[in-house]
Amino acid sequence: MTGAQLLIDLLAKQGVKEVFGYPGGAIMPIYDALYGAPVKHYLTRHEQGAGFAAVGYARSTGKLGVCFATSGPGATNLITALADAMMDSVPVLAITGQVPTAAIGSDAFQEVDVLGMSLSCTKHSYMVERAEDLAEVLQEAMHLALSGRPGPVLVDIPKDIQQAQVPFHPWLALDEAQPQVSPVQVQKAETLLAQAKRPVAYIGGGVQSADAQAELMQFLNKTQMPAVSTLKALGSVLPDYEYDLGMLGMHGGQAANIAVQECDLLVCIGARFDDRVTGNLAKFAAKADVIHLDIDPAEVGKRKPAQASLIADLKQSIPQLSCFVTDSDWLKTIKELKQLHAWRYDYPGERVFAPYLLNQLSQKMPDSGVVCCDVGQHQMWVAQHMKFTHPSNHLSSGGAGTMGFGLPAAIGAQIARPDDMVITVSGDGSIMMNIQELATIRRNNLPVKIVILDNQRLGMVRQWQQLFFDGRYSETNLSDNPDFVALAAVFGIPGQTITHANEVDDAIDTLVTSQGPYILHACIDDKENVWPLVPPGAANDEMMTEKA
Amino acid sequence: MKHQLTVAVKNHAIAVERFLRVARHRGFRLTRLELEGKDELFHVKMTIDSDKPIYLLTSQLSKLVEVQQVNLHTLQQQAI
Repeated sequence: MTGAQLLIDLLAKQGVKEVFGYPGGAIMPIYDALYGAPVKHYLTRHEQGAGFAAVGYARSTGKLGVCFATSGPGATNLITALADAMMDSVPVLAITGQVPTAAIGSDAFQEVDVLGMSLSCTKHSYMVERAEDLAEVLQEAMHLALSGRPGPVLVDIPKDIQQAQVPFHPWLALDEAQPQVSPVQVQKAETLLAQAKRPVAYIGGGVQSADAQAELMQFLNKTQMPAVSTLKALGSVLPDYEYDLGMLGMHGGQAANIAVQECDLLVCIGARFDDRVTGNLAKFAAKADVIHLDIDPAEVGKRKPAQASLIADLKQSIPQLSCFVTDSDWLKTIKELKQLHAWRYDYPGERVFAPYLLNQLSQKMPDSGVVCCDVGQHQMWVAQHMKFTHPSNHLSSGGAGTMGFGLPAAIGAQIARPDDMVITVSGDGSIMMNIQELATIRRNNLPVKIVILDNQRLGMVRQWQQLFFDGRYSETNLSDNPDFVALAAVFGIPGQTITHANEVDDAIDTLVTSQGPYILHACIDDKENVWPLVPPGAANDEMMTEKA
Repeated sequence: MKHQLTVAVKNHAIAVERFLRVARHRGFRLTRLELEGKDELFHVKMTIDSDKPIYLLTSQLSKLVEVQQVNLHTLQQQAI
């Protein structure tokens, strides 16, 4: 067996059925091993597309996402997707071909030190130096990507090692001891919970990583604790939970942000006090003690001190919290906040109102459907106005905020979940960042639905220019966009353009009932902003609103 | 504030580069470095300087796959 054949064999043993990639010189032995193999390869049209397809595959299933690229530019094109996976703790295995061992360090054709480049954007990375190490490295890499706090792992394999005969290697048992919750910390948490009058649960992406939605909902239903979610956590708290306040932070709901600012105990469950969540950190939940639950000890105290910390898999740690019931006065306040700050969709104009469109889409698409966003205003509108029943149904580039994420992530999700509807919601800026992947959709007849909210602007940057840069609209005008429906048609994808509010309902019906891929191009007002907004340096209860 | 750390890290070519990158990126300035390869491990003594709490570095270093042990040896307050 060659090194390349061993790779494919081990992926199959791991249960990997699909991989994404793009061939090239230094990875040709691996592509030769793929020929006729039980692992199906999906050719994307750019390595970044392969990387994000692997991310979408992983995030929509919890399984390992795998991407391949050749040396040099192939490998560097993966880097953005790996950085994205690192920020959002996504289990991805990246396999890169490398020039032959003897040529490394000689500035050979398509030679780049991808191992060096990987240091800041992977959980771990390897360059295989000896053929006899390959089996162990690959198994360790897959284990690392999926275990503990998940993340991307890169394995760089020189071409000669792909071609070398490698010895048989038994499947390794790589399970290690898992961190256990400290009884002392549980006791501290119990005391804080017993004393709290105004607790709030602050839910993060760790709930999905730990597959702990059931444990979370059990905790919330028993305690009736009000809950706020990060962008990545949306869907973790079921939409019918009475005290769900939705997303907090820079573009969070006012009720969510006010509740956090007023709370006296913040129970942080798999979140990391990201700056887009906290606003001015010194003023964030300033009246609150903190109980922090996370599998990663480095997150505890990194941004905000915790008075009690439960360091373990959330599936183990959440049930350790006692089942007290939240004070009824606080719950009354929460209900009033929800009512007072409920979203409104009675937009007076004739133009398409993006929040209304997305809210209708959310109501008309199946609960099991997946929405993949790009980055910008549309991403925040999705987070505000769509409801999700599981975090694996909402794929949004959180920590990295990568434009170009949505389309390839949707490809990965659609391949991973062929029976579920997958919809990309993008903007006219973001969609162009990986537009070449329309060819991947067509090549594989994937029924991915695409919604483009087109304001002919880089909307979020334009909004900031309006609010914080004296209306100096530097390089945000995209009024020379292509005709997106005509562009999709070139790839054999049908669609329509809408411009008026009275076209929205029918257009969404057409989109969600279309059998194959479909593009809905919705022209919206270029002056529409995302509200509310916590301005830079402000506390989360100092939100700007449309009326302000 | 200056701190002295000793770190035992697997004797892999990339391992030292990896944890030095973490120290720099997390805002800890390296002022002295000694490295000795012995058997399977590198033993690294490093003096670092930062206004940040040292646990923000040790907790990140401890997560690295190749890092076997992190010890904080001295902790002395000095004028910067």
